[in-house]
Amino acid sequence: MTMVSATPQIAPGRSLWASPLILGLTILAGTAIGETRLSFATVLQTLANHLWGASYPVDGIEAGIIWSYRLPRAIVAACCGAGLALTGVVLQALLRNPLADPYLMGLSAGASSGAVLVTVAGVGGGVISMSFGALTGALLAFGCVVVLAHAVSGGAGGGRATQAAAAIILAGIAGSQMFNALTAFTIARSANAEQARGIMFWLMGNLSGIRWEDVTACTLVSLAGVGLCLWHRRGLDAFTFGADGAASLGINVPALRGSLITATAIMVGVLVSKVGAIGFVGLVVPHAMRFLVGTRHDRLVPASALAGAVFLVAADVISRVIVPGQVLPIGVVTALVGAPAFALNLVRGAQR
Amino acid sequence: MRLEVQALSARVHRTPLLQNITLRIEPGELFGLIGPNGSGKSTLMRCLAGLRRAYVGRVLAGGADLVRIPARTRAQRIAFVEQQADTTDRLTVREAVELGRTPYLSPLRGWSGVDDAAVSDALGAVEMTTFADRLWHTLSGGERQRVHIARALAQTPDLLLLDEPTNHLDIRHQLSLMELVGSLPITRVVALHDLNQATACDRIGVLKGGRLFATGSPTEVLSEPLLAEVFGVAAMRHAGPDGSPRLHFSHAL
Repeated sequence: MTMVSATPQIAPGRSLWASPLILGLTILAGTAIGETRLSFATVLQTLANHLWGASYPVDGIEAGIIWSYRLPRAIVAACCGAGLALTGVVLQALLRNPLADPYLMGLSAGASSGAVLVTVAGVGGGVISMSFGALTGALLAFGCVVVLAHAVSGGAGGGRATQAAAAIILAGIAGSQMFNALTAFTIARSANAEQARGIMFWLMGNLSGIRWEDVTACTLVSLAGVGLCLWHRRGLDAFTFGADGAASLGINVPALRGSLITATAIMVGVLVSKVGAIGFVGLVVPHAMRFLVGTRHDRLVPASALAGAVFLVAADVISRVIVPGQVLPIGVVTALVGAPAFALNLVRGAQR
Repeated sequence: MRLEVQALSARVHRTPLLQNITLRIEPGELFGLIGPNGSGKSTLMRCLAGLRRAYVGRVLAGGADLVRIPARTRAQRIAFVEQQADTTDRLTVREAVELGRTPYLSPLRGWSGVDDAAVSDALGAVEMTTFADRLWHTLSGGERQRVHIARALAQTPDLLLLDEPTNHLDIRHQLSLMELVGSLPITRVVALHDLNQATACDRIGVLKGGRLFATGSPTEVLSEPLLAEVFGVAAMRHAGPDGSPRLHFSHAL
């Protein structure tokens, strides 16, 4: 008999206090690094000028880049990374499916359709903003997927758990395809070349338009998401052996599943409406963190939120500097890093 | 804990799975549930665990209607080991058993010494203490089943429900598992496929086509005519060395 040692696990007490520090440094780095490289000192002086009314002499253009452009962008990137990673954690835990992520649930496809219908086809007559269209689209797509999954699993609800989890995955695929087709149809029919290029850019994730007014909503939803997931950490743990297992451990499965999935749908809807559809964060980050800190959600939730935030800020920096004079869509970077990482994870999973 | 099933019926899409089951299980009893495939054993177990609502009738646990007991309270009193519950998560044996403390924890009430003690006791009861740090996916089927039972015992229940716990186990693990179940000082309901294992129960209930066909002691119930009628097999019964009935099956009827 060979003894296989457990995954080395970081004590939550030791890593948790470091999280805000790591997050702060990441956002600072995301602000300092870019096509115009700025020193950390300049960044800190600009922040001090704005936050505490200090009066360090900082170049006006540099201060403008830092305060109005890069800092909100880095904060929103961090929020989106944390939110998308958490959504992956929640969906993978509740659906017992390692492939579950916002893409798969049709949320991103729905958001894209909503955004395209508003901007290109002119739905809403200019009254509705693109963000609102994307949020509506995400929630609508999510609703469709849930109704479809419910119909497929025969309205069994908490019945045969594995069947219900498979049903929601299949429903998600159907929903994504339908909404992607709707997006493509709208672009093909109504968009001119310029619009089509802009939309393609947005569909792959775009943080260029982020300003301070976007920061509040993104920060609020991602903080609320972290709080909600931590509050329900034991409920998420209880799903280890499936929905029936959770129910026999005293978890109200329909209520927990309903509230957490709805909350993540709203979170993703808000985030995607600001930055577009960014893939692979929800898929890769939770798997990587399970490998590092284990499967218990008291550690996995904060670790995934932090890693997602760091990952997306880094991806944003890379997207800005890798091709001189040009900004790549951030979704390209996350996919180029995420897809091989996910493949590696699959292979390692098969070998153990 | 006394368990009373009153005129229970369950159905899925108008197909009846259980019809008019009335049954009483006394505190501390080891009650065996037998029946051919599709006779409703698992459905009845799920009803008893409170995981499935009855279409008609009710289940009383310690005098209280099971569907009216809050899920947390229910899970503190009733533990259920399902068939083939597996996971792909990388977790240790101890972590799996710790899940049994879920009904006692809340977002604000954290892990305490009481929980540690319950987990250690449960691991000891199934003789898996030395396996505490092993990873789930390195365990054999019999070891996993023991961990599931330890998880259920960590709930410190008054009633333990086991759905075919000896499935897929080799003969040694089957016997040691039944010995373990037999030695637990709480009310136990065990769905079983192996009729010779059922002879170790205090009483047996026989399901056939969703109806309760017979209940009684193993000697009363496991008769040759009943086995022919319910299971469709020709069987021969004789007394084992300890006086309990032993069955030999010759052919399908």
